[in-house]
Amino acid sequence: MTTGTAPTAPLTPVVFAILLSLAEGEKHGYLIMKDTRAPEGGGVRLGPGTLYGSLGRMMRDGLVAESGISDDERRRYYRLTALGQTTLAGELGRLDAAITSARSLGLLVHGGRS
Amino acid sequence: MRPAPRHSRRLEWIYDAALQLYPKPFREVYAEAMRQTFRDALRDHTLSRRTLIPLVLRDLVHSLAKEHLAMLRNTFLRPALLFNAVVLAGISTVLGLALYSIPQQVLRQGANDPQIALAGDLAARLEQGVAPAEAVPAGSVDIARSLSPFVIAYDDQGQPLASQARLNGQTPTPPKGVFDYVRQHGEERVSWQPMLGNQHGVRIAAVVQRVNGAHPGFVLAGRNMREVEAREEQVRHMAGLAWIGMLGLIFLGTVSFGWYTRQTPTA
Repeated sequence: MTTGTAPTAPLTPVVFAILLSLAEGEKHGYLIMKDTRAPEGGGVRLGPGTLYGSLGRMMRDGLVAESGISDDERRRYYRLTALGQTTLAGELGRLDAAITSARSLGLLVHGGRS
Repeated sequence: MRPAPRHSRRLEWIYDAALQLYPKPFREVYAEAMRQTFRDALRDHTLSRRTLIPLVLRDLVHSLAKEHLAMLRNTFLRPALLFNAVVLAGISTVLGLALYSIPQQVLRQGANDPQIALAGDLAARLEQGVAPAEAVPAGSVDIARSLSPFVIAYDDQGQPLASQARLNGQTPTPPKGVFDYVRQHGEERVSWQPMLGNQHGVRIAAVVQRVNGAHPGFVLAGRNMREVEAREEQVRHMAGLAWIGMLGLIFLGTVSFGWYTRQTPTA
């Protein structure tokens, strides 16, 4: 991935779940971990190592940034960048199209989860 | 029942120790945040220890491998670093080949020196009309064992007329193509491998010259190349060691440069 360019390939589950979590607003590491663990947040079980490794790479790629605010100096807060929002919107659109297609094929009950 | 705070502190201490296993640049940036995230997880009453501990253990194994690989990639597999290493390795390979081939050629050409003089002198005497049996010095040289130079006189068809050289009791004769070449060009300098039984058991540095005059023919002066080839082998070993040494220095230099110019994770 190149900094400043929205990725065209599908995102990894971890990156997607982190972007989805941060779409709600700025969060620190453990809140992101909690969000991503929930089924509606991606259902990804992240530990601190994977979380911060992924956040580091996403910062390098320009998808997220540290917000600078903190209620505790040991906690780091992260937020989506404009590129991160675009990337998330693109991925959601791709998934939405896939789900619509699955529904039209009768593979997914309307309103339910697979 | 929630574990006692002392148990939590012990888990924090163990996790803190495990953080030391991460690459230093990663640890310097994220260790404190990871420690705090683990602390937050321990204090989260909705997350049981039975869920948290295996999750963190799996995460440690997975992320340790991933971050160490990423560090190696960022440190040593940068395209510019690899390109420089490949270019330097190419230069050292050319140098290594030169270190072998130049002395090897000097040694090989030098192996012809006495034969050039011997063949020239013998050809001159034959052209003056001296009989081959008289012109060729007396004595016999076993060319498979002796390092002494020797001469042979051949007629215009390449049949031996007089010879100092013996191989298995016979006078060796070079291939007809050598005589054909010398007939056209006057002289040929070759590494000749006369047959020893059914095998090429001996290599000779041979100089063949044309004899003109009333009785045209050829003269061959030769010498066993055993000593020269032993020196060539020494040169090959030394050049090989020098090449390996240069590659080793390039490897160490690349690793050192990669390490001191490595990229740190985004803070």
